[in-house]
Amino acid sequence: MLEVPFRHRPLLLLTVVLLIQILLLAFQIRRGENARLIRIWAVEIVTPWQRAGTWVGSTLHSSWKDYVDLHHVRVENQQLRNQITQLAIRNQQLESQAHEQERLERLLNFREAYPSVNMLAAEVIGANADASSRTLYINRGQRDGLTRDMGVITPEGVVGKILEVFSGTAQVLLINDKESGVGAMLASSRTHGVVKGLGQMQLRMDYVPNDEKMSNGDAVVTSGDDQIFPKDLPIGTVTGAGGGNPFKTILIQPAVRLDRLEEVLVLLSRDELAPQTQGRDSETAGAPTSNAPAPAGGAPQ
Amino acid sequence: MRSAQAMRMETRAGIRVEVYHYSTIFVMAASLLAVVIQAFLGRLGSVGEFVELPLLVTIYFGLSRRNASRGLLLGMTIGLMQDGISRVPVGLYGISKTVVGYLSSTIGARIDVEHPLSRLAFGFIFFHVQQVVLAATQRVLLGRPVPFFDRRLLLASLVNAVLAPLLFPLMDRFRKAD
Repeated sequence: MLEVPFRHRPLLLLTVVLLIQILLLAFQIRRGENARLIRIWAVEIVTPWQRAGTWVGSTLHSSWKDYVDLHHVRVENQQLRNQITQLAIRNQQLESQAHEQERLERLLNFREAYPSVNMLAAEVIGANADASSRTLYINRGQRDGLTRDMGVITPEGVVGKILEVFSGTAQVLLINDKESGVGAMLASSRTHGVVKGLGQMQLRMDYVPNDEKMSNGDAVVTSGDDQIFPKDLPIGTVTGAGGGNPFKTILIQPAVRLDRLEEVLVLLSRDELAPQTQGRDSETAGAPTSNAPAPAGGAPQ
Repeated sequence: MRSAQAMRMETRAGIRVEVYHYSTIFVMAASLLAVVIQAFLGRLGSVGEFVELPLLVTIYFGLSRRNASRGLLLGMTIGLMQDGISRVPVGLYGISKTVVGYLSSTIGARIDVEHPLSRLAFGFIFFHVQQVVLAATQRVLLGRPVPFFDRRLLLASLVNAVLAPLLFPLMDRFRKAD
C-alpha cells in the first residue's frame, strides 16, 4: 500500500473531496446540445487519446502497408526488370528474325525473278582472320555442288566469287579484295572496264578511256566478260573519277554492304540473268552495248 | 450533550494555542441550524443576500478545532446541505466551503484566533475566499461570468466580518478547554 505521510493526509483528503464534488457538479451541469458536462469532459479527455490511438494505429498500419507494398514493389520491380531484359532479348531476336526474314524474302524474290538461273542460297558463317585479305566463309560446299570461280551475289549486287571449296563450306573472295577483279561496265554508256578491289571498302574501275563522260552516282554493272558473273548485275556507283594515263581512275562504292553480309546467293551456272517479266526482257534486250575495247589484261580474276 | 474538550498544542511559530473539541451532536446541530436559518433569511429578501451563516459556522469550527481533515469534511457537509436547499448545482457551495474549512483549520492550527479582531478579519477574508472559489467554479464549470469582487460582495463581507465576533462567542459556550 502507498503510505501517505501524516501531515499530507489532509491535503490528499482535500484533493479527493474536491475532485468528487467537481465530478458531482459535472454530472449535473449541462452544456450546449443539453449534454452533461461530465460527458463533455469524458469526451474531451478520451477523444484526444482515441484520436492519438487512431493516428498511431493508422500510421503503423500505413507504415506497415507501405513497407509491405515497398517490399512487393521491390520484388515486382526486380521481376519487371527481368521481364524487360527477357523482352528486350526477345525483341532483339524478333527484330533479327524480321531482318533475316526480310533478307531471305529479298533473296527468294530475287531467285523467283530469275527462275532460269540456277542459284543456291548460302549463309555466311565466318570471315577471314587475315586483315589484308577480304574473304568470308559460307555454309555451302562441295556437297552442294559448289566449285571454284562461281559467282556470289545478293539481290543488291555482286559480292565476290568462290575461291576455295571444301566439303561443307566454301571460301568467298570479296570484290574489294586486292586480288579481286570483275568484268564491269558503266550502265549508262555501256563502256567496259575491270573493277578491282583496293583492300578497302571502295573499289576501283580500270581501263576506262579518259574521254569517257561520267558523273558521280553513275551505276556500274557486270559486263559478263569475266565468264563468272552474268551481265548487268549491279557492282556499285561512281563516287569519283580522275584523269590517268592512259585510262581514267574511277572510284566506286560497292552496291553491297560487304561488311554486313549474312546470306548470299551462289550462281551455280553461268546463265545470263534473264528476268521473268516481259518488260524486263525487252529492257535488257534493248540495252545499249559499249564499243569500248576489252581490257588488255585479258579475263579478270 | 457532551461538553467540548480542549487541549493545548504548540504551533510551528512557537505559539501555544488551544484545540477545542465539541460534541458531534452540537457540531451537526449547529451546522444544520445555520443552513436552515440561512434558508429562512433568504425569504427576507436583501438581508439574506448579505449574511452567510453556514460560512461563519464553517469558519468557526475550522478555527476552533484546528483539524484540517475535519474542517474540510465539515465544510463539505455544510456546503452540500446549502446546495441542497439552493437552486444551484449540488457541489458548488460544497467545493467553496470545503476549501474554507480546510484553510481555516490550517490557519487555526498555526495562529491564535481567539481575539475578536482576528475573528472579524477571518470573517472578512474567508468570505472573499469563498467568493473567489465560487466565482472560479461557476466561471469554469458553468460558464457564468460571476464577479470575483464587487461592491455588493464587499458589503456582504463586511457584514459577515462583523457577525463573526458576535456569533463565535455564543458558540464558544459549547466548548470546554482543559
